Amino acid sequence: MTPRETILDHKNKRQNNSAIAVCMKNITKVFPRVIANDHVNLTVNKGEILALVGENGAGKTTLMNILYGLYLPDEGSIEIKGEEVRIDSPDKAIRLGMGMVHQHFKMVPTFTVTENITLGNEPAWGKGIFVDKKKARAQVIALSEQYGLKIDPDQRVRDIPVGLQQRVEILKTLYRKAEVLILDEPTAILTPQETRELFNVIRGLVRDGKTVIFITHKLKEVMEISDQVVVMRRGRVVYTSRTQETTPQKLANMMVGREVLLQLKKTPAKRGEVVLAVKNLTVLDNRGLPAVRRISFEVRKGMVLGIAGVEGNGQTELVEAITGLRQVESGNIVLEGREIGMFNPRRRRELGMAHIPEDRMTTGLNMEANLKDNAIVNSYYKSPISKLNILNFKVIEKFTSRLVKEFDIRTPNLNVVANTLSGGNLQKLVLARELAGKPKILVASQPTRGLDIGSIEFVHQRIIDARDSGTAVLLISAELEEILSLSDQIVVMYEGRIVGILEAEEADEETVGLMMAGIKPDKKMKDTSFKEKPF
Amino acid sequence: MVFDLELIRSTLRLATPIAFAGLATMLTIQAGIVNIAVEGMMLVGAFVAVVGSYYTGSAIIGVILSMLGSMTLAFIFALFSLKWKAHIIIMGIAINIFANYLTVYLLRAIFGVAGAFSSPDLKGLEMIKLPVIDNVPILGSLVSGYSILVYICWILVLLSHIFLYKTKLGIHLRAVGENPAAAEVMGIRCNEMRFFAVMASGALAGLGGSYLSLGHLTMFTEGMSAGRGFMGLAATIFGMFTPIGTFLGSILFGLFDSISWRLQGMQIMPVQFLQMLPYAIIVIILMTISFREKWVRAMTAKANRAALEKAEE
Repeated sequence: MTPRETILDHKNKRQNNSAIAVCMKNITKVFPRVIANDHVNLTVNKGEILALVGENGAGKTTLMNILYGLYLPDEGSIEIKGEEVRIDSPDKAIRLGMGMVHQHFKMVPTFTVTENITLGNEPAWGKGIFVDKKKARAQVIALSEQYGLKIDPDQRVRDIPVGLQQRVEILKTLYRKAEVLILDEPTAILTPQETRELFNVIRGLVRDGKTVIFITHKLKEVMEISDQVVVMRRGRVVYTSRTQETTPQKLANMMVGREVLLQLKKTPAKRGEVVLAVKNLTVLDNRGLPAVRRISFEVRKGMVLGIAGVEGNGQTELVEAITGLRQVESGNIVLEGREIGMFNPRRRRELGMAHIPEDRMTTGLNMEANLKDNAIVNSYYKSPISKLNILNFKVIEKFTSRLVKEFDIRTPNLNVVANTLSGGNLQKLVLARELAGKPKILVASQPTRGLDIGSIEFVHQRIIDARDSGTAVLLISAELEEILSLSDQIVVMYEGRIVGILEAEEADEETVGLMMAGIKPDKKMKDTSFKEKPF
Repeated sequence: MVFDLELIRSTLRLATPIAFAGLATMLTIQAGIVNIAVEGMMLVGAFVAVVGSYYTGSAIIGVILSMLGSMTLAFIFALFSLKWKAHIIIMGIAINIFANYLTVYLLRAIFGVAGAFSSPDLKGLEMIKLPVIDNVPILGSLVSGYSILVYICWILVLLSHIFLYKTKLGIHLRAVGENPAAAEVMGIRCNEMRFFAVMASGALAGLGGSYLSLGHLTMFTEGMSAGRGFMGLAATIFGMFTPIGTFLGSILFGLFDSISWRLQGMQIMPVQFLQMLPYAIIVIILMTISFREKWVRAMTAKANRAALEKAEE
């Protein structure tokens, strides 16, 4: 039997003796102006993996927060193991056997692994006053051995990699004897290899009789790991199916509510002259340690150069150095033959650089300002937006409404404050503003992070359109799929260095995934890396 | 002679109110609250201690009432900043101003005097001679013969250390301070922990205040906390937010304070300069601490650059 068959066989077996672990009936939750959950029914079978998919704002997280006791539903009931319960606090949820691993880990960085796992429920002596550190440590070791989740109980959480931090989060729920584990987008920060490891862990947990609810919008993962899939859209469950009986295309269409292109339409790139060249660049991080180490690459006109890598391997510092937000330690940044390493961000922008920052909430936009102000932040001092330092509101109005129309930004009017818009619309606004000046080089950092499939499709298409109209694009993304579908050439970064540079044709998920983990594959591949060592 | 045994004794005495204020701020900072209202709480504590001692004739009752007085102020602080989510720093400033004028007003209303109140009927705290240790040479004259609050302060430093690092409640408190979201999902009630920390800081500030008006001196003067609440904050920062470190920080500030007094007695330079000394030293120390990080960063950067260049050659 092949491993795949074993898994299928295993799935079938599980299906047969299915008891119901969680049943949510007619759940309705109304927030001011939005119905987050509209009569949602969700049934989770014991010992199964249920994938809960949907775009951002579809109501998945609200539903799970209700199950975890963070919100009370306005209507509806919850049954756990067939008994109706009222879950009014996380504490209660934990006692009922719920465990949640949040997308953003909820840990105390300076505490040790043991302290984090046992937090709130420490073994104690002296009438429950003093923490029994020895016993806590022993319990954690026993737990980690029981489930085969290796960790070092004495390390501080801030010192361990994210993959292990996630393991600590899972152990936290198991320590509280969770029967149903809710994993909120657990793979967003993992390499493909780490993801595979996580999936093995999840399968192991299910084998031990645990039930898993897996929130994601990566359809490939849904197909790989889940037994049952539930699609939510605009607060409702729109589709439920056994995973074997559905397809990614079907799921995507249900999520968005229309036909979507999973595969981007893209013509081969017409590469022109070099626009941006980075030579032997070294950049320090906030602690003064080198985050980017002697990196060199070139981006040409009309192409997308994708920088792949797990987050925290120097990409952020690289982008900041290129766009002028961080000091260059050594090396050169050359824009159309001109050294720009010493220039401030505005000067660089005036020479034709545009930047989509990785965090649209803090760097990309001013969330407290209205759309018009946000639209002109990079051009407010220029004619025709202002003359003699006086803003021309008519021009601003016209300019902003043109952007809103061209980029299909859904907003009631131009005077609303940015933070009332959804993530997708916010990112469209950033994109519109940055592309408005017809840049020579677009630095797009994590351009679709946290966006739904519909918006991702839109942003990707616009980036490709910009490329086709002659802009050089430097794309930095932790999403491997995004890198593979957009890039013409791929640079893989690991610990601040370039592991290798691949042409799009020779790149596949396996190769790039390994390189993201710092492993240079043995496969003979064209060495296109620049003069990192003297020949 | 500037340095002698008496200098150490006066250092320990002068460090005590700063250490109380320091423990108060340290506890709240560990719970994630920068409580600058300790200054005002101390002032009210000092006043209430005098009132209590004067009318009951017992200094100990004065101390207990002063703790209750400061805790009342702490309760108001907690109510506004924790329950009604007022800005913590603004709330702290408000409490400090309120405390200042409240004591000025009550001084006139109760004792009918302005500026300061002192009376032979006002009972101060007695000096305590420790049994056995008092007879040991040197050691006896170093650690024996202080007011009871000095010893309470030393004990509380140790107790806060045990509390923060060994007990469940203390660990939960630190978790709330560092990442409230993490604490909350583990079923810890964050606001209750914060409330507890603020009330405890009120009690500690009360002890510090009563030491000022019944231990160190036996009188109340307007604004007699004289920035000691903020010195406590400085000692906390100096001590990297640990109880022991905070205590060492307040000893250091107490030392400069007593040197300043000593030099004032010697009349070698204008008194105003000498009075400024402890405060000026605090400014220098805090500046050093905040620049240290930048400096360390610059040094590591330099070292890294050198190592990098060596490796690449």
